[in-house]
Amino acid sequence: MKKQVTIGFILLGLSASLLLMDACKKKDTAPVNTFNPTYISLKIPAGWPTPPLDIYANNRLTEEGFQLGKKLFYDGRLSKDGNFPCASCHQQFAAFATYDHDFSHGFNNAFTFRNAPVTFNMAWMPLLHWDGGVNHIEVQPLGPITAPNEMAETMDSVLYKLKAANEYKTMFKSAFGDEEINSQRMLKALAQFMGSIISANSKYDKVKRGEDNFTPVELSGYNIFKAKCDACHKEPLFTDNSFRNNGLALNSLSDRGRMRITGNRNDSLKFKVPTLRNISLTFPYMHDGRIYSLGQVIDHYRTGIITSQPTLDPLLVNRIALTNAEKNDLVYFLYTLTDTEFTSNPRFAQ
Amino acid sequence: MKQYKCYRIVSILFLVMLSTSCQKSVELPIEKTGTLKISFRNTVKGIPIVLGTGNYTNGFGEQYVLTKFKYYISNVSVSNIDAVSSETNSYHLIDEAKPASLSFSFPVKIDSYGSLKLLLGVDSLRNVSGAQTGALDPLNDMFWTWNSGYIMAKLEGNSPQSTVVNNKVEYHIGGFSGSNNALKNLTLTFPVGKILDIREGKTSEIFIDADIDTWWQNPNDLRISTDPVIATPSAMAKKIADNYSKMLQVKDVINY
Repeated sequence: MKKQVTIGFILLGLSASLLLMDACKKKDTAPVNTFNPTYISLKIPAGWPTPPLDIYANNRLTEEGFQLGKKLFYDGRLSKDGNFPCASCHQQFAAFATYDHDFSHGFNNAFTFRNAPVTFNMAWMPLLHWDGGVNHIEVQPLGPITAPNEMAETMDSVLYKLKAANEYKTMFKSAFGDEEINSQRMLKALAQFMGSIISANSKYDKVKRGEDNFTPVELSGYNIFKAKCDACHKEPLFTDNSFRNNGLALNSLSDRGRMRITGNRNDSLKFKVPTLRNISLTFPYMHDGRIYSLGQVIDHYRTGIITSQPTLDPLLVNRIALTNAEKNDLVYFLYTLTDTEFTSNPRFAQ
Repeated sequence: MKQYKCYRIVSILFLVMLSTSCQKSVELPIEKTGTLKISFRNTVKGIPIVLGTGNYTNGFGEQYVLTKFKYYISNVSVSNIDAVSSETNSYHLIDEAKPASLSFSFPVKIDSYGSLKLLLGVDSLRNVSGAQTGALDPLNDMFWTWNSGYIMAKLEGNSPQSTVVNNKVEYHIGGFSGSNNALKNLTLTFPVGKILDIREGKTSEIFIDADIDTWWQNPNDLRISTDPVIATPSAMAKKIADNYSKMLQVKDVINY
């Protein structure tokens, strides 16, 4: 009898414990996690270096974040009067520069201060803007959104408009797990889109991959390029991301470039070396769009450099010697850097 | 007797299983803590400022009215000879226009502490790490969009001695690297006889005065008539930061 009672107690105790364990287990798994985004990764083209900074270290790429960023990029709500989305100055068909404009148009018929830079291959750009003033892709949009001569908005007002739009509630939830809309999420989403825009499918790339061949003229141009241009326009990104004075006269806006950021006189008239990828689409050229054609750009390096400037880049003190035939071949090579697959890719289109 | 033993075994078994089965959902306190509250009072020579209406005079006899006064406090910790207790994710924007911003609280390991360490400004890492939120949200109007980086301290107002439009006075002091680094790591000591005694479940409060009068002199002269506006990371901005690095003073410590 005593034994039976004891065993009974033991069984009772055990089953009660098991029940409790079970209850606890259920509690652990109770909150069902509905945030299940599609993670994607930045595809680094073969032969390219690793980006200098992992721009997605604190902003994991998802398809939902990319799509939200794309919607924001093409949305006029980010500007004061609705007319100036990011894409108004960064046009896909112009390799995300402004086609055929020295300066771009902003709010109230204002002009920008500089030629719109391209917004592709940004994951490989440690500093953004012609003067390198912006140090991270996530904070880049704050400049144009709030500049009175560009989108002329305030972040408060942009967020107010986004919060009023139902489609954004859904998209922020898919990208970030809940409907909260704040500046950080908006900027991270834009970074997901902009940083994913990669151009690596030009004829040059196909030749490098063994899928195509240069014509004799293009090949000659490539050899000239490697001998005379490659020091600054370094392959495969066609820029070394440095800041250099290439001997242009100070413009009427007294734009001294990098010096505006560093306050250092030695940086006067230094501007970021732009990529030459898609260069045939991004005319006019230079930080203020003062040179219209590629031929004229080459002429600047042959004969136009103002060699008396104290901050002139050491590589340019003797200008660049090129015959007319070499100039011709070089331009044909530069045309091979045009990537029409990327300028017509629906993934980057509105 | 035997039966009693069995009861004991069963109940112990039951308790053991109960305690282990629910461990995941029970948060075990790793260390005992109390609460430290830090309160700021913005003054001119000890007199609390009033935005918009208060009239003040600097050491050069220049008069001014204040319309904005805000600054970042980050990386806060308290320490004694043996131990340091730091606030996690420690970023605060002290804004005279927002009373709720003038104090903040965080848990501190129980112990006695003799000094308070903080950074007047935002550490360089957060200046280069992309979009932030909370106190560091660009919506707080303390972030430069054309030259990425935080404005560490902002003082705005008017003065008859200012030569710019609307007699404006605008000091946006920032810069986080190189020779223009305006960051100020400070160690503040407590008034004689005061100790921060953090006890379990109790609150202690540190009262700090920020004296705007320090902005104008020592070691660098700042005259409104010559420099009414400073709004970029620069040698002059750094000089002002050198001045205001002396603005914070612990006035009292109370252990409630």
